[in-house]
Amino acid sequence: MTFWARTYDFLQGDSRTSSLVRVAFSVAVVLLIWEILTATVVTNSLLLVPPLEVFAALGRELANGNVWTNGVATGVALLVSFPVAVFIGVAGGLILASNRLFSLTAGPMLMALYSVPVVALAPLFIAWLGLGFASKFVIVSLVAVFPVLVTTEVGLRATDKALVDAARSFNANGWQIFTTVTLPYALPYVVSGVRVAWARALVGIVVAEFFGSFAGFGFAILAAGQTFDTATLLAYVILLGAMGVIGSLVFESAERRLAPWRHE
Amino acid sequence: MSKTTALEISNISKKFERPGRPTIEALRDINLSVKQGEFVSIVGASGSGKSTLLRIVDGLTQATGGTVSVNGKIVTRPGKDRAVVFQQDSLLPWKTVIDNVAYGLAINGVSRREREQTARHFINVSGLQGFESHFPHQLSGGMRQRVNVARALAVSPDILLLDEPFAALDAQTREVMQTELLRIWEEEKKTVVLITHQIDEAVFLSDRVVVFSARPGQIREEIEIELPRPRDLEVKRSATFVAYVDHIWKLIEQEVRMGMKS
Ligand SMILES: Nc1ncnc2c1ncn2[C@@H]1O[C@H](COP(=O)(O)OP(=O)(O)O)[C@@H](O)[C@H]1O
Ligand SMILES: [Mg+2]
Repeated sequence: MTFWARTYDFLQGDSRTSSLVRVAFSVAVVLLIWEILTATVVTNSLLLVPPLEVFAALGRELANGNVWTNGVATGVALLVSFPVAVFIGVAGGLILASNRLFSLTAGPMLMALYSVPVVALAPLFIAWLGLGFASKFVIVSLVAVFPVLVTTEVGLRATDKALVDAARSFNANGWQIFTTVTLPYALPYVVSGVRVAWARALVGIVVAEFFGSFAGFGFAILAAGQTFDTATLLAYVILLGAMGVIGSLVFESAERRLAPWRHE
Repeated sequence: MSKTTALEISNISKKFERPGRPTIEALRDINLSVKQGEFVSIVGASGSGKSTLLRIVDGLTQATGGTVSVNGKIVTRPGKDRAVVFQQDSLLPWKTVIDNVAYGLAINGVSRREREQTARHFINVSGLQGFESHFPHQLSGGMRQRVNVARALAVSPDILLLDEPFAALDAQTREVMQTELLRIWEEEKKTVVLITHQIDEAVFLSDRVVVFSARPGQIREEIEIELPRPRDLEVKRSATFVAYVDHIWKLIEQEVRMGMKS
């Protein structure tokens, strides 16, 4: 094998190192394009600043403790509302999957709510609930609940009939079929819903903080925008991006662990 | 020496009602009695109701008419005295081999220690040593089917019901599995009802082959296979063997032809 063929094989492999190399490579390319853009096309620093300045701004915000203050505000809101959304989503999915009539009645309405950009209602929630935690909680829960609910129902209904037959043939009762077949079968579906919900929750929290809060990443982004501090604005966007990627990786690996047979 | 009857199928019929579409008559008036320790195969064209009959015997499907009794007791639902090996892969993909083999025992409330011990025994019987902690997706089709057989044996049923267990395997693996099944049957002294569309498989393994007619499934003929036991693959080349296969083949061919005309 030539050097290039071996490199290619390594890069498209499944190992942890090769996936790290891939990530590092794509980050480097983005940074490079960004740098070139700011050096040539977009020289106005109100519109875009070079990556180094953004990292400098990030360092500054870390040093003066702003990242910490905003991070706590955003983090606490997420840590409270996201699990609640997941819990309600799973519970709702269980109810819908348990009864055909429920599902047929509530399904179209839920689908409509899922498709509506709930964040568009953010100003309304803030008018109702005021600035601060309550409105963040409602907005995040509302955007995050639907993907979990839908995938939970789909997962519970997707159960392989052959597995249920096997369980029944060993004289399993309804509860045993649920715990040993239906639920484990649905779990990876649920986690994939949670992964989508996490991305939506990040959008939800930022929008909620745009409109109504005194701290948080969304608040910091808005504040930086209003003072034309593009470097700081992008620094917080990068932090949000990192939260998104980390969440996605965590849930993806959970999916993989729960359903290794689907990945080969 | 008259052995006791393990399985008695009396006047079983089955119609599938389908709202808005014609009813399917899958089985008509099936009568079959299987002795303790007997190995009986059912062959017939596809769609002739073989799987339906097996599911009725297991208690997974209710018959429209007639009764099934196992050791004199009428079947109303699945029970410990029967276990099925399905054609379709029905191992739990999130459980290891040993947990899959122990699954029926776990459902029946057997303690962890006891079921692991039993599972290990049947893992050895089925030639799965060393694969205890593998997951089904890490095994070949043949290995997976061994796990299915081991899982059925682990609940120590009196009657083993096999629905085309080797159909998805390649010819070589199938022959290996057939001899393995014979060995296990001789060691464990089970009553076996095997469904297959492989006529040579039926003749090789069975004491008796039951030929189904095309839909609605009825028993066309029962053939006692008087080949000496223990049998090995050699027997497949004997003239008697070939004659049996030929005879059954002709019966099924007629059924398929008539099915195509109607
Ligand atoms: N649950 C069901 N609902 C409706 N029809 C069925 C059902 N199960 C089997 N059938 C029909 O009954 C007939 C016999 O099926 P089956 O027992 O699977 O045959 P075989 O195993 O001999 O191929 C087929 O025509 C099949 O379509
Ligand atoms: Mg069948």
